[in-house]
Amino acid sequence: MIVRCAAGACGAEGANDIGGFVSGLVLALAVNGLVWGLIIALIALGLSIIFGLLDIINVAHGDFFMLGTVVALVLATSTGSYWLALLLVPIIGFVVGLVLERVIIRPTIRQASLTIVTTFGLSMMLQEGVRATYGAQPRRMAAPIEGTIPLFGIDYDVYRIFAAAFAALCLIAFFVFLTRTKLGTWIRAVRHDPETATALGVPVARICAITFGLGTAMALLGGAIAAPITTVEFRTGVDILPFCFMAVIIGGLGNLQGTVAAALLLAVMEGLVTSVTDPTIARIVSLGFMSAALLVRPNGLFSGATR
Amino acid sequence: MTAKIISRAALILTFVALAAVPMVVPMLSSPFWIDIIAEILIWSLLAASVNLLLGYVGLLSFGQALYFGVGMYGAALSVIHWGAGFWGGLAIGIVAAMLMAAVAGSVAVRLTWHYFAIITVVFSLILYFAAMSAKPLTGGDDGISFSAPQIFSLGDLKLSLADQSVQYYTILLVVAGIYALFSIVVRSPLGVRFVAVRENNRRAALIGINVYLTRYVAFILAGALAGASGALFAFFGRYASASYMFYHVSGEAVVWAIVGGAGSLLGPLFGTGLLIVLREIISAYWEHYLFVVGALTILVVMFAPRGLAGLWSDALQLLFVSKGTARSDNLVDTEARAQPKPATNVTRGG
Amino acid sequence: MLDDGSNSVALSVNGLTRRFGGLVAVDDISFDLPAGRLNAIIGPNGAGKTTLFNLITGEIRPDAGRVEVHGQNITGLKPYQIVRRGVSRTLQIKSVFTGLTVAENVRAAVMAHEGVASPFRPVASYGAVKQRVDNLVEQIGLAKHLNTQASALSYGDIALLEIALALANQPKLLLLDEPVCGMGPQETEQTVETIRAISKSVDVVLIEHDMEVVFAIADEIIVMAQGALLARGTPAAISSSAEVQEAYLGAPEEAD
Repeated sequence: MIVRCAAGACGAEGANDIGGFVSGLVLALAVNGLVWGLIIALIALGLSIIFGLLDIINVAHGDFFMLGTVVALVLATSTGSYWLALLLVPIIGFVVGLVLERVIIRPTIRQASLTIVTTFGLSMMLQEGVRATYGAQPRRMAAPIEGTIPLFGIDYDVYRIFAAAFAALCLIAFFVFLTRTKLGTWIRAVRHDPETATALGVPVARICAITFGLGTAMALLGGAIAAPITTVEFRTGVDILPFCFMAVIIGGLGNLQGTVAAALLLAVMEGLVTSVTDPTIARIVSLGFMSAALLVRPNGLFSGATR
Repeated sequence: MTAKIISRAALILTFVALAAVPMVVPMLSSPFWIDIIAEILIWSLLAASVNLLLGYVGLLSFGQALYFGVGMYGAALSVIHWGAGFWGGLAIGIVAAMLMAAVAGSVAVRLTWHYFAIITVVFSLILYFAAMSAKPLTGGDDGISFSAPQIFSLGDLKLSLADQSVQYYTILLVVAGIYALFSIVVRSPLGVRFVAVRENNRRAALIGINVYLTRYVAFILAGALAGASGALFAFFGRYASASYMFYHVSGEAVVWAIVGGAGSLLGPLFGTGLLIVLREIISAYWEHYLFVVGALTILVVMFAPRGLAGLWSDALQLLFVSKGTARSDNLVDTEARAQPKPATNVTRGG
Repeated sequence: MLDDGSNSVALSVNGLTRRFGGLVAVDDISFDLPAGRLNAIIGPNGAGKTTLFNLITGEIRPDAGRVEVHGQNITGLKPYQIVRRGVSRTLQIKSVFTGLTVAENVRAAVMAHEGVASPFRPVASYGAVKQRVDNLVEQIGLAKHLNTQASALSYGDIALLEIALALANQPKLLLLDEPVCGMGPQETEQTVETIRAISKSVDVVLIEHDMEVVFAIADEIIVMAQGALLARGTPAAISSSAEVQEAYLGAPEEAD
């Protein structure tokens, strides 16, 4: 689970007194939630644009995240540089996305309700493929930035702060891309009204491919960012997927800012709930919240949903 | 009309072949395969529950493992805590699954197909986590086990599941009975309503069908099928575990249903059969058989979206029925020609 | 069809309004349509005609107003409930059960009307239903296509099938939304004759763009524009109305 603190992996080391420790721990969990929330927001946005444009419920999206963690670890170990891995992973993700869209998605997209089955098949292939090549053994990665800084009376991992900042930067870059560039505008146009977009000369098929590539890249990038703070194994996608869906649904399909807000809200909430009870209960609470949101306002809790 | 005769013959042949398994299989191979076929029969009911919703009503549920789990635990817990026998446990499992489906379905069925698919997963995840954390009751991942109750006792004759043949025939009896019931329902006026809702839910409303209620009834019946599968599974393994409630199980059931052919009567049986046999064969040589299953899933959606039943139906059409006339009402293939469609929202603004 | 002498208003619409965001699609419309007539609703594109139908059949809820059919208030009821009260309609884009045969299509409608929903009796055993299906298919002129799959039918035959489905519930009021839209001259004639025959026993209201059809069969015409009622009268009165011509910006020959 995301905010499970296994053997000191919380990011909070050492404390001065019990009271300070407890409140510091709670705050650390909240900050952890924020860190993960930002990473998940990045992944969930990828899921959202794929859903928004291609009408696909991509159950392999969590496995894209997992692939990102694995590729990051493998590249970092083989090249010796995590930073190089961080640079390469999203590019690899984009290419993988383009290939998958062409080979698997496009031939099956006519059967709208069956695309979920296709992506489920893809998910199986990704998980088993990674298990077969990388192996079933979970591994951990050394943090590329060592050290801690004092935060709320607790010593907090510097890398996590970097991860949060970097994820936030990527989110900002994404929104800038979407609103300020021609390609981004085309993507928004196709999502909003594919027919008019075609009439205006937008190459819709290519935009769909690029969108899938972009969504995939974002998921892999999220994986690369998260690799040093999570276990790297073939099953991590399974945990992340429901969370991403929750963020997208609660935020509202088509409402990208809402998705980001929902991801942050859910992650922080889960982090805080975990401090009083166990992670499973926290997850149930989040899922219950999501069900309620789906039933009350299927278009999301945040206004501005366009679907 | 010969297509109809062929299909009916195939149906009878299938049943006869299944009935002969405990006698024939040990001669050809190891008795281990009897258990595999029993497993196929059990799991095919879960695929059948997906098939009912997808193939006959047009709803893709990705969360039938929930009702499987409720049926499984219903049976297991009733045996462990209330001393229920086989038939009692089976009934309790099925009823419990139907109740859960009644609760979940009342809200799920209102949603359009994307949200419906998502919420079925969400519900199954919630209950999965709940089952995992209620370890004292459910045993969580490790599960709970019990000893085989008697099936039937008359004087000196005592039949119990511990005997492989008895177990197999009991399972075959129950499963065949359920398929027979299923066949009756889909040929009934209720079945007509299901198909109308699937084909065109707006038109269905405009001929006076209460689409919500129709879907709701189907959802509960599908819950019963999945619950039966789960209860039988519990008795088969004398074991129940929360890990079977995970969405991966639901997903596999969808794959089995699609490979077999959504909208056909025996599609789930053959789809499940094919994939489980494949699993057994491949995993003997390569442990990553799921990779092959995943690839096969994608290929089926790409090239044979109507599955085995669709291929069968096409073969029959080619050989016997001329174009333009209706497919004959054959048992193996009742509605295999219908593509699974997304259930669209009834109201579209004028 | 008059239930009793006093109830001679087939359709009564009162203050019906519906907005979509900032757009007023149907603007405070009121009219009474007497029974025993064939009425047509015409108007330029975007006038709100189909929205009006959708409001009457319950597929969208009105923001204000009331709908009564033969004295029965049907405002706010769900579509299937309204159908069960004897209101049927066809859609602009012909909507039938494409994967089923003609017989299966009509059977579904007849069974729904008869309230037959047993999960146990085989469908084939309902003799009375089969009789009604055969009669309806005969009446509509599709008898030779009884076992043809709907997707294999010609466009004109699909339109007839849809009308058969709409007749299965023995409606008191039949709403036809552009019944001859997209048809060639022969299919149009066939459909018009069918509508004329039906209108002898069922009150029909149709939306149409084909003025020839409208003037040939309508007893009374309602003209809508921009969501509001513009004019109402006999075909002669309407065709000479300057107001109506202006609303249409010229000859409305949209028989596409």
